[in-house]
Amino acid sequence: MDNSQREVIISLKNVTKVLGSVRVINNVSFDIYKGDIFVIMGCSGSGKSTLLRLMTGILKPDEGNIFIHGRDIAKISGKELDEIRRNFGMLFQYSALLDSLDVEENVALPLREHTKLDDHIIKIIVKLKLSLVGLKGFERYYPSEISGGMKKRVGLARAIALDPEIVFYDEPTSGLDPVVAGITDKLIMDLSRKLLITSVVVTHDMQSVFRIADRVVMIHKGEVIQVGAPEEIRNSSNPYIQQFINGRPEGPIDFFKEDTSILEDLLK
Amino acid sequence: MIESVGRFIIATLEAVGGVLGLFVDTLYWIFVGPFRNKPPRLRPIFYQMVFAGVRSVLIVFFVAIFTGMVLAMQTAYQLEKMGAVIYVASLVAVSLCRELSPVLTALVVAGRVGSAISAELGSMKVTEQIEALETMAINPVRFLVVPRFIALFFMLPALTIVGDISGMLGGFFIGTTSLHLSPDLYIHTNFKYLALKDIYTGLTKAFVFAVIIALIACFEGLNTKGGAEGVGRATTRSVVISFVLIILADCLLTAIFYFSNV
Repeated sequence: MDNSQREVIISLKNVTKVLGSVRVINNVSFDIYKGDIFVIMGCSGSGKSTLLRLMTGILKPDEGNIFIHGRDIAKISGKELDEIRRNFGMLFQYSALLDSLDVEENVALPLREHTKLDDHIIKIIVKLKLSLVGLKGFERYYPSEISGGMKKRVGLARAIALDPEIVFYDEPTSGLDPVVAGITDKLIMDLSRKLLITSVVVTHDMQSVFRIADRVVMIHKGEVIQVGAPEEIRNSSNPYIQQFINGRPEGPIDFFKEDTSILEDLLK
Repeated sequence: MIESVGRFIIATLEAVGGVLGLFVDTLYWIFVGPFRNKPPRLRPIFYQMVFAGVRSVLIVFFVAIFTGMVLAMQTAYQLEKMGAVIYVASLVAVSLCRELSPVLTALVVAGRVGSAISAELGSMKVTEQIEALETMAINPVRFLVVPRFIALFFMLPALTIVGDISGMLGGFFIGTTSLHLSPDLYIHTNFKYLALKDIYTGLTKAFVFAVIIALIACFEGLNTKGGAEGVGRATTRSVVISFVLIILADCLLTAIFYFSNV
């Protein structure tokens, strides 16, 4: 598909973020097109989750701009940001459901806060969203009473409660068994294809990446290694990418930060 | 040395600024929010009122009744020497209403409710629940702080009144049993020297203490960092800082009331 003809929904231009004394994100630029499943992959600590926090406006970039629908989210007021956020859904790595509310109230929360819908209708919508993630009948359970995989699905139901345009997923399959992970991937694809939701997925689950992605960006130490379609990434000659997708312990991605061996350290 | 003093001062000023900022935010969501189509939600307010207020009645009752009894015995010990045991009644009533009931109730509530608020908000913070609210465009101050603030603001003075009454009951019990005063005379003396201003200066203190407890507890909770240990630290800090500020504010308010002859 020719990307130049497509509508850009999120655009990062030379984004840099410094946390403490570390450049967590360094001069990152890419575009996300409407309706795509865009996957951000990279090792733990590569800055993936920070990128997600930048895109949802929880963190502000130190340099560069982040445009959502052409509006720079670092330069708008809190009220305008909240308006944009109403078109967001976000699935957190550990679900981040409110412990004090049961499953139904959790999914209903964005509806109760942002719409004037009748309670009766809200309950119907909640049922609908819960059946979409295969959890009908679990309305009265509290987050502490259900499994991690179920919590993630409730989190997903909550993320899509307001029929958002964009859904952000922070490691949607981590900590799930392979079958549930597969189901979660299928859910993400269904939502994207059937409801035309733009999805931004942060993950390091390679199986999942090649199952769902329309486009992929590989991040390493806060920098973009490559952006492209999954086949381009798979066939890339870049040593970082080859090491990452094949999970090889040797290669340019070094596990040890310093070259000095433990023995040298001890003998100092 | 100078460096560490400087760092301490900067950290303290930052915290003070943070608490004041939270106060302004809270007032904004209580008074301006409703005109922006965002009224405070009633259900959580009632829920917090039950938790902070109704469930604290028993402990406030016990703390105050025993304080009243101790006060009666200790003052009788002094007043006996002057043959003025009957004034135990008014002394107990006045010192309870002006001073002891507001302060002790506030300390009990800071320990029971303030710590619970810090722990709850703190664990919500470390499990990304606060962040989740923000990404859902739900303001955490409006959603979490406002109900707790309003609940404490009304329940702490109410509990103080419970404390006033229970303390006087304690004094009455000692006065009429071990001090052999007649119940009629005790009640008469109790109210004869108790002016309305004694009660409302005490309640004014309670309102101020409620603001302190709610703001410190919420601030510490929302600024929790680093897992379970961080939650524990936030809870401890919340209680310790509230205690110190309550006593400090009590001293200031008493001075103001005393020197302005209220």
